[in-house]
Order: sequence, then structure tokens, then C-alpha cells
Amino acid sequence: MSMNQHNGEGRFIEEGWFKKFAEGMVLVGSRCEACKKVFFPKKEVCPDCFEGELKEIPLSKRGKLHSYTISFMSLPGMKIPYAVGFIELPEGIKLFSILTDCKPYERVLKVDMEMEMVIEKIKQDESGNEILGYKFRPVNKGEKL
Amino acid sequence: MREVAIVGIGGTKFGKHTERSIRDLALEACLKAIRDANIKPKDIEIAYAGNAVQWEWGQGLAIGQVVLRELGITKIPITRVENACATGSCAFREAWYKVATGACDIALAFGVEQMTVAESIKMLTIVTGKQFAEREGDMGLSPPALFALLARRHMEEFGTTREQLAMVAAKNRKYGALNPDAQLRNAVTTEEVLNERMICDPLTLSQCCPRGDGAAAVILTTKKLANRYTSIPIYVAASVQVSGTYPDDRSFTFFDTDVRGAKAAYEIAGLGPEDIDLAEVHDCFTSAEIVHYEDLGFCKKGEGGRFVEEGLSDRGGKIPVNMSGGLLSKGHVLGATGVSQIIEVVRQLRGQAGGRQVEGAKVGLQHNAGGFIHTDTGTCVIHILKR
Repeated sequence: MSMNQHNGEGRFIEEGWFKKFAEGMVLVGSRCEACKKVFFPKKEVCPDCFEGELKEIPLSKRGKLHSYTISFMSLPGMKIPYAVGFIELPEGIKLFSILTDCKPYERVLKVDMEMEMVIEKIKQDESGNEILGYKFRPVNKGEKL
Repeated sequence: MREVAIVGIGGTKFGKHTERSIRDLALEACLKAIRDANIKPKDIEIAYAGNAVQWEWGQGLAIGQVVLRELGITKIPITRVENACATGSCAFREAWYKVATGACDIALAFGVEQMTVAESIKMLTIVTGKQFAEREGDMGLSPPALFALLARRHMEEFGTTREQLAMVAAKNRKYGALNPDAQLRNAVTTEEVLNERMICDPLTLSQCCPRGDGAAAVILTTKKLANRYTSIPIYVAASVQVSGTYPDDRSFTFFDTDVRGAKAAYEIAGLGPEDIDLAEVHDCFTSAEIVHYEDLGFCKKGEGGRFVEEGLSDRGGKIPVNMSGGLLSKGHVLGATGVSQIIEVVRQLRGQAGGRQVEGAKVGLQHNAGGFIHTDTGTCVIHILKR
């Protein structure tokens, strides 16, 4: 599944992370109008300068893969193996993310490669309902892991 | 601030102690420390009990009183301390602070944890659960995954190799085999570590510390009173605790907490990395130890992999690191870990470390990290101890 099937309809892991802007459903951060620093998730006040008003802004859907790992250790709701990484966004944020469409990972994943955000199912709740969240995939995507 | 001395130490063996109670483990450590200092329990004026999580046992919120009651240590202020993986070091630091500031003359600090009684899924939920703002744990960020991300970026930027990472485990397990209190007492070779089951690439099984049960305790007093209790007082030259800044704008190849904490500790002690004879550092994963070498100034940024490969962190090297076997051999026994690191440094400085003794050691550094939050540790505690 990708953005084509999910236009942001459905239950999100955290409702406050996503918002529909002109470019569609994207991650929403807050930018301090005084010091211009951008935060994700949104903040109540600017933790850096404590001065400015915070404005909601859409976060870039593209970023660079700062680092990655393939986990063979399970966590609740995660099917192993799975790939995760930090994505460096142009707004100056390191965003932790599940990685998708990157098999075989040894050949596909490279530090600093261009990645793009997709909205996908992250897990199921107790009643079997899909819970949506963000993932990142290589711009030149591989197969599903 | 008054100069503070450690005059008594005691600890249990780390490992699986499911047949004993957590109170019994803490009691063993406290009793050993009290006998080591040859002090009367009733002379202790304040006590801090480090315990991170009550995994199963009840009445844990009063664990300090429950344990010390058995020794007749009553009436005095007794406080439980919790600060994630740095819990034990923070309990020690609170005791140090009270003596250093003159609030009292004799203090006890102990750390205890009993982790093997809990289901691992319960532990993971407590450690990585939904409470984090970014819900990173909810999306697959486990402790080994975080330290694998640290390793991968370090490999990319500085050419650190899988072999160098594995060498940290081989070195520490070599010394764990010489430490009767360690949990894992079999040495492993670099080759064996590399061929083990992968946990989070590039970290294999032995590159991730096990959990465990155990306790450790220390008695602190003033420099003036120290000679009443021991012929070899070990002095606290610096005690530093910092919290993280969780930076987004710098490469994930370091811990900001470590760098700021080390700088402050060296300044307070009037010493530098060149004066350190040995160190116990928080090797929860092999990549962590390599990054700590750099952040603590043992080598230049990016040279941590070579530091272990060239034997500079081994006995006989520039700064022997984790001669106790480290967390990788002892296990990470949350509340007890920091105090256990301190008692290993004290043993080394007293010349009582047996087969793993660093000859002529006069200055030792202890480093304990607590909790991970985004790209940083939540807490970092550093102590510099000297003869």
C-alpha cells in the first residue's frame, strides 16, 4: 500500500502528527516565528527561545537516510525483520521512521540516499482495525521487505 | 565542597537470582560494604537506594527502608532514587552531594535490580512504550536498534568496521571471565562474535548486554574521617550529572551528554583524559563503547574503532576500559549498574582487582548513561575517582 491507496483516510497512530495541506496529507511540524526553528511533533511553546509564536507548517515529504538498521528483534506489533532509520529532513529534523520498499536491504539501503514519505498501515489495534502512520522509502524504491 | 572518600564497597554476583528476594540481594551488598568499612550501621546518617523499576516484587517504593531495616538503619532520611539506566550512579551522587556539602558526614548508597523475574515483553513495553512524545518505541525503536543506528552512521563517516565493533565484545568478555561477580564468564573471540545471531544489524548477540539481577553498595565519608574506616580511602575528584539536549542538527555519531559531562568532570578534577589510568564506561552495546572513547576524550573523534583494534582500551593500552567485563559481561542490572562500576574502579585503585588488576592505577573514570531520548541519552553521570 502506498499514498495511492491511502489519502489520509483512516485512523492515525497520532492524529496530531498529520494534516492536510495544499500538497495533501503530510506530517505537520511547528515553526517558531522568532528563531525559525522547526519541531516535530508540534510543540506548545518554542523550547529553544521561548519567545515566538508557533506556526503549523507542512514537513517535507523528502529527506536523506541518516542511518538505518534491520531489526531481527521483535517489538509488540512489529513483524521481523523490519527496517528503521533516521531521516534527515530539510527543516533540520531527524525523524525516526520505519523504512519500507527497500528489499533486499543490503543492496538497496545506503546512508544519505534520498527517501520519500508514504502513509501506510503501521499495525493493527486489538479489534483488527488498521492504524496508519508514516514510513519512508527510497525514491528509487526496491521490493517490499 | 568538602572532599569525599569512599571507605566501603560491596556487591553481589550479577546474574540470575530468581530464588532470592530483591531485599536479600540489596542486603548482601550493603552488609559487605558496611563490613568493608568496619562501620557501625547506626553511624550512617543518610541513605539512597537506587532501583529503577519494580518488575515483580511488591513494596518496592519503600525499598530503601525495607532493606536497611534489616541492618537496624532506621530513623535517618532514606530515599529511593530512579533515573533509568543511570539510577545507581545518581543514588551514589546524591550521597556524595550530601557529604560534600556538609549536610552529613557518613552516607550509604546502594543500587539493586531484579530483572530476570519479568517477562521480556513486559520489560520492552516499559522501556520503549507509548509514553515517548515521538512514539519511536511504538514504531520499532528498541535499545539495540538505536545503538545499531549509531553504529551504522559511525561506520559510514569514519570507516569503523564490523570487526572493530566485535572486538569490544571480545575484549570485555575476556575480562568478564576474570571477574567472579560477572554474569557471563566465558570468553568469546572476535570471529565468534561476528558469526553469532544478528539482533539489529550490525550488532550481533554478544554485542548487546544481557539483563540480570544483583546489587552493589558503597559507604562515603569525609576526607577527615576516612582513615577511621580504611587504610586506602578513594577520593571523589569529580561528580557530574547532565541531561540531554537531543540534537537534531548534528550527526548521530556522538552523545552530547557524554561530551558536556566529560568536559565538566575534567575541569572539576583538574585532570584530563591523559591522567586516566582506567575507565568503566556504559557499554550497553559495542557501538556505545566506541563512541564513549571519543566523547570522553580517550581518542580523537572518529578513531574509536582503531582505539579498540590497536589494543589501546585493553590492559596495557593507553586507557584500559571495562576491566570488570563491562555491562556486556556483567549484564546491565539497571539500579545496580552504576554503583557496580564505581566499586570496580575502587577495587582497581586499591589494588584489589585480582587477575584483572591494572598495575599502579591511581585515577579512574566511571561513566553511566541513563535512558535514550531521540538522538541523545537522557542522563549521563561521570565520576572521577583517585587514590
